[in-house]
Amino acid sequence: MRTRDLSYWLFLAPVLLALALVVVVPMLLGLFYSFTAWNGIQTGEFVGFQNYLNLFKDERFLDSLWFTTKFSVVSVILINFIGLSLALIVTSKIKTSSLLRTTFFMPNLIGGLILGFIWQFIFLKVFASVGEAVGMESLQAWLSTTETGFWGLVILMSWQMAGYIMVIYIAYLEGLPKELIEAAEIDGASTPQRFRYIIFPLVAPAFTVSMFLTLSNTFKLYDQNLSLTAGGPYNSTEMVAMEIFKTAFVQNAFAYAQAKAIIFFIIVAVISLVQVYINKRREVEM
Amino acid sequence: MKELKFSKGLLASVLLSAGALAACSSGDEGSTAEGGGEQVTVDIFQFKVEFKDQFEDVVAQYEEENPDVNIEITTVGGGEDYGAALRSRFASGNEPAIFNIGGPQDVADWKDNLTDLSDTGAADAALEGTLDGVTVESEVLGLPYNQEGYGFIYNTRLFEEAGIDAASITDYASLEEAVKTLDSKKDELGLESVFALPGKETWVTGLHLSNTFLAPEFDNNVLTAYDADTVEFEYGEGFKKILDLQNEYSKQPTVSLDYSQQVEELFSLERVAIIQQGNWVYGSIAGIDQELADSGVGMMPIPVEGLEDGGLPVGVPMYWGVNSNQDEEVVTAAKDFLDWLYTSDTGKTAVLEDFKFIPAYEGYDTSKITDPMSKAIYDASEAGETIGWVFMGYPTGWGEDELGASIQKYLSDEASWDEVVDSAKAAWETSRGE
Repeated sequence: MRTRDLSYWLFLAPVLLALALVVVVPMLLGLFYSFTAWNGIQTGEFVGFQNYLNLFKDERFLDSLWFTTKFSVVSVILINFIGLSLALIVTSKIKTSSLLRTTFFMPNLIGGLILGFIWQFIFLKVFASVGEAVGMESLQAWLSTTETGFWGLVILMSWQMAGYIMVIYIAYLEGLPKELIEAAEIDGASTPQRFRYIIFPLVAPAFTVSMFLTLSNTFKLYDQNLSLTAGGPYNSTEMVAMEIFKTAFVQNAFAYAQAKAIIFFIIVAVISLVQVYINKRREVEM
Repeated sequence: MKELKFSKGLLASVLLSAGALAACSSGDEGSTAEGGGEQVTVDIFQFKVEFKDQFEDVVAQYEEENPDVNIEITTVGGGEDYGAALRSRFASGNEPAIFNIGGPQDVADWKDNLTDLSDTGAADAALEGTLDGVTVESEVLGLPYNQEGYGFIYNTRLFEEAGIDAASITDYASLEEAVKTLDSKKDELGLESVFALPGKETWVTGLHLSNTFLAPEFDNNVLTAYDADTVEFEYGEGFKKILDLQNEYSKQPTVSLDYSQQVEELFSLERVAIIQQGNWVYGSIAGIDQELADSGVGMMPIPVEGLEDGGLPVGVPMYWGVNSNQDEEVVTAAKDFLDWLYTSDTGKTAVLEDFKFIPAYEGYDTSKITDPMSKAIYDASEAGETIGWVFMGYPTGWGEDELGASIQKYLSDEASWDEVVDSAKAAWETSRGE
């Protein structure tokens, strides 16, 4: 057992304090507010579980939850697939590998809002003119239907996050023991076989980390959603975070929004933890 | 023993952090000292970004004339953000002395924090009807910023070249006629389309357009709308027709067309002939084509079928409220400032010439209103040819989030008009029933 003397707590104090002030206290306050009729100004009377009962009948909330789930599943798969592919490319023996790494990582450095607006321009203007030039009807009017809005968001998110996830995979790929792969090569394993039986199981811990990151990030997505589609058309591409924000600030139902946020928090926490638990079991010890 | 150590350590860390916090907070005290302790500080928290600089200049002038008053302005733009920011300002305990309220719903929400302003000169001078939305039991709880109005803004040059006289457009039939003429001459006029309908902006369809057709139902009075338990869509047929007309002759797809595309890209570059907007677009158009903004545009009312005496919808976008929780002298200073702003000569000049407001008060030299859209609105207002802004009395979120969103559905062929009307009616009733 390590000794935890005063200096230990001294160094920990700022973090503990910050955590308490910006996470724990607001969280508890929020929990309290979710049981009241708070309108953002006055706390209002205590309503018990009424807010929670209402939200399970709230079609718009359930729709946005479903949309977010669909989006997350598709994005998580795509981002990890692209991220791993990029990582395999840049760790192979190609010459421009460090340039490529930088290039692939770059989108991640741009803020979500700006990215949203840039892609909005691409979807609305660039796609339209390309579509016009080659006569492809399907490239016209992007973001004006639910489907194109959905895929627009997926593309934007994958483009932004794949580079980041790539970095995680690179770290694990470069840590792979060369002897193992060489041995497999000598034993006559083909490239797909080497990937399937050697590399893939060994980078499993990277999956755990990157799945957690992508899942929680896609579930909580707000800024890209706001700048790209703003939930439109007719609120059909509205994700949960945005729906909660609108409930609070557009409909002035602050306590109700708070209840939704609590439920949302529980959902994200449960999914993330279950995911980490399952993935952890798949990891192999080296 | 282990547990004791843990709690000791925790106590130590709490104490240490508390010390650190205390060190941070001591910075606040210096700010009041400058003026010799007598100075009153009035915090203004306002939403209109467009006139921020001009407003600050005027405030500087006021501070010069009244050295014992110090005015601090914070501007947070955009309707939605402002409401959120204001709430957090109040929640944090750093309450402003003067803030903005929008209409009956805001008045009801903020009632406990609003001072009665009926004894101010500005309240006396306010034009008839402009105080309706903020008067509760003869208490005036807000002072209007200005007046704004909207309608169909058209390009006069294009109208002339197409041989259309805007004055002859008085009802739906003549409007449709004009639109068809413009549409047939699209190529020679260099038009992309006749209209630009920004379906993406739910406030354009859900608030402004709907207001034109719901105002007569609520006697043009925002309070009638606010008190109404149901909405009937008496003029719903005309509403649908105007929406269809704009949609049919607009650049597609309308659902993803936004405000800046509508005003800056399409109208200001003369690629469309008519847009549904208000006098606030003056700045945007002038930024691209000063000449067009000053002499190339006109404004006409949106025709309401089945209604003879239509007009331009004119209303007050936002009101100034004074926080009643502040010290007596701060409240007085705040009232004095607002009074000065709207009733003194310096203030009046600034309101009219620097802010480029259409005044909501008597006693202004209105010949100084120069931009054609504001002029059209002021003229209509004087002639009594206006209809009210009732959308401030819609249930919270109803106009944009309900009706505007369903109109998007209608525009993308995902819902019929009847479905739009039915769901809007149902949502209104649910909202009011609570």
